[in-house]
Amino acid sequence: MNKFKKYINNVNISRFRFWFQIFAFIIMVYGGFLSIDIGENLPTFSCPYIDKGGGTCFLMGLQHRFTLPIDQLISFRGLAVLTSVLFFVSWFIFFNKAWCGYICPLGTLQDWFTKLRQKIGIRYSNYSEAKFKKLKKIKYILLGLLILIPIFMANSIPFIGKLSHDWAVPFCMICPGRTVLPLFQGDASQLVIDYGSKTKMIFTVLGMAITGMFFAGAFFKKRFFCFFCPMSALQFIFKKLGFLRLIKDGTKCTKCGDCYRACDMGIREIADDIESKDIIKDDCMMCFKCVAACPEEKCLKVNFLGKTIYEATEEGFYKRQKGKK
Amino acid sequence: MEKERFEKVRKHVRSEAALEAGDVLNKIKDNFPDNPEGMNYFYDLLSRQFSEGILPKNGKKVIGTMCVQVPDELILAVDAIPIRVCSGSFPYDNAGAEFMPAKTCSMIKAIMGLFSVENYQKKFDMLVIPTTCDQKKKTTEMLTDMGYETYSLSLPSRKDNDNSRHYWQNSVKEFAADLMKKTGKKITTSNIKKAIDLKNNARYEFRRFFNLRKKSPSVIYGKDAFLVANAYFVDEVESWTSALKNLNDELEKRVNKNFSIVNQKTPRFLFTGSPPIFPNMKIPLLVEEAGGLIAVDEVCSSSRLLYDMPAYDEGALYDMIPAIADCYLKPCTCPCFVPNEERKDKLANLIDLFNIDGVIYQSFSGCQLYEMEQKLIGNFLMEKGIPMLYIESDYSKEDTGQLSTRIEAFIESIKIKKKSDLKGKRATK
Ligand code: SF4
Ligand code: SF4
Ligand code: SF4
Ligand code: SF4
Repeated sequence: MNKFKKYINNVNISRFRFWFQIFAFIIMVYGGFLSIDIGENLPTFSCPYIDKGGGTCFLMGLQHRFTLPIDQLISFRGLAVLTSVLFFVSWFIFFNKAWCGYICPLGTLQDWFTKLRQKIGIRYSNYSEAKFKKLKKIKYILLGLLILIPIFMANSIPFIGKLSHDWAVPFCMICPGRTVLPLFQGDASQLVIDYGSKTKMIFTVLGMAITGMFFAGAFFKKRFFCFFCPMSALQFIFKKLGFLRLIKDGTKCTKCGDCYRACDMGIREIADDIESKDIIKDDCMMCFKCVAACPEEKCLKVNFLGKTIYEATEEGFYKRQKGKK
Repeated sequence: MEKERFEKVRKHVRSEAALEAGDVLNKIKDNFPDNPEGMNYFYDLLSRQFSEGILPKNGKKVIGTMCVQVPDELILAVDAIPIRVCSGSFPYDNAGAEFMPAKTCSMIKAIMGLFSVENYQKKFDMLVIPTTCDQKKKTTEMLTDMGYETYSLSLPSRKDNDNSRHYWQNSVKEFAADLMKKTGKKITTSNIKKAIDLKNNARYEFRRFFNLRKKSPSVIYGKDAFLVANAYFVDEVESWTSALKNLNDELEKRVNKNFSIVNQKTPRFLFTGSPPIFPNMKIPLLVEEAGGLIAVDEVCSSSRLLYDMPAYDEGALYDMIPAIADCYLKPCTCPCFVPNEERKDKLANLIDLFNIDGVIYQSFSGCQLYEMEQKLIGNFLMEKGIPMLYIESDYSKEDTGQLSTRIEAFIESIKIKKKSDLKGKRATK
């Protein structure tokens, strides 16, 4: 047992994650071809705009379900919203935010861009932490809007009236999932501007612009899009329920910052916060690179239902650093 | 005439220094039982340092460094030899006192004495001095004035925000550029990777050593542990690492055989404050000769020297050099930083890990930073209920008698406390 534990703790987690992500990408994007359908309400961008994908993103259904008059929303029909959230949560709690670090096809795609940049030898860009902190709030605004806009399609706003049907699934209209992921099945039909109405046009143009930013951003800043992702904001609300946890023992931490350096999401608290035990922050994607980069015995840990499945060790750290190319 | 007089002074100071080093080494070896075989390498090395001098004769460039924050990886990458020149020698301290202000700390005086008595201008290609305390900072200019090639490595006073982190990363980058210019060698991904691995191997053995010292009752004296780290100042990394590996293997055998050099009742101390540098082993020797054991320390000349390890994410210079920089700034608990809460956290952690009964805090007279921080640390330890002995001292032997009385009394009081604690434990069992 001890030998097995040692073996696991010496593992190169980045390599494991790389292969796992490929596997998950195949299921999410090509699942239909393999007759795999994981289900609806997934807490990840398994986009239904992909013709034969392997599951359905929760945000799509969420936006549809909120297109209801308020009185119905608080009556029995609201229950539908509630059950879908329940489904979402029950998917979510298994992997917690690791849905982002290991499964989300958009996340994986960004990681591939990072790999490409590294291969070419171009450096990443640095942003001042303070400025970026403000930008990161956008994800909560997007989450709010993607619920409010559908509500205002079914309920009138004073002076303006109801929003038209062109406002349907507003986040999907600007989500890179819709434009980019179908490309992997050779389907570029989403990459067009819809001149049907002014609203549609604005949405589709915005969608194209965001797609462009998605690619350019991913190239220079690791996981650029994830900082603004409303799915991540939504997940964070339920993080306390997750079975999978990232745990820190602050008494063992030297604040060396090795974990912070490894973190693609630039989460400084992972190094500097020595009070919190449950150290998952809103941007965290539970990739566990920080655990692999921590040189202090048992300082950072991955727990599943209270059982430690992976933890920082001196030996593992030394082996991984030595094995680096 | 002048030259002859100078030569005479040098000869005199040198022989005094060699005598002092020999004396201290004899004490370290002869006054204690069960010295590990593996220590002989370190004893010999340090004795050679003072009898023959240890400056390498292989034609490689030599870069002198002060303080723990100079990233030697960069120096190793350009195929030069880093030598830490912080000195613990009383004769050189005396020589420095001739021209340094009276209230200067002994270590600074010894460094200045060394570089004024010995004309090392041609032997060191560069002296790198981080902007840590005010006295270290000013030595840079004085050394330049004496004809030395110096480099002032700019260190921020804070380490708790991202601005200072980037500031320091840039300082280190500039230093790397300067090194390349001075040595005419380029730093590449492959030579920096080699240098990081070389130093990480040393760090790995050092961690092993550190962990072996946790064993209670102990398998090695603190006086020996100080020497191991001190030897790193002047030794080549590879040979030092393999010598420490030998020592570790030997100590591991001791642990497996349940062999210890002291017994259950020996009080275990944590040593912190101004760094003991060979031959200034005054306080550690007084403590251990009086029946205490320095189980671990938190000083920049020993346990802090090689503890922290860098982790880079991308194997390219733009990530590796900042990664090296981070590891010298973020976890550093030098009192030149404000705030320095990490020092308290580290002490608390060491007290737990090493079963510590008491803390010995040394300040060199004239070292304001350690003297002032003593209050903060003292209060912190008082709250935790850990007794601390504060000692202000310098490199001279004058105060030995008075100090040994105080140290003996402190050790006695802890022995009594330990006895009653042990009894208490037995009673509850
Ligand atoms: S945060 Fe990133 S990985 Fe997570 S769902 Fe959003 S795009 Fe995917
Ligand atoms: S477009 Fe984006 S939000 Fe909409 S279903 Fe696809 S992945 Fe989900
Ligand atoms: S790598 Fe580990 S020890 Fe270093 S700051 Fe992070 S959690 Fe603390
Ligand atoms: S905090 Fe750790 S697990 Fe979370 S994103 Fe950063 S490196 Fe990954």
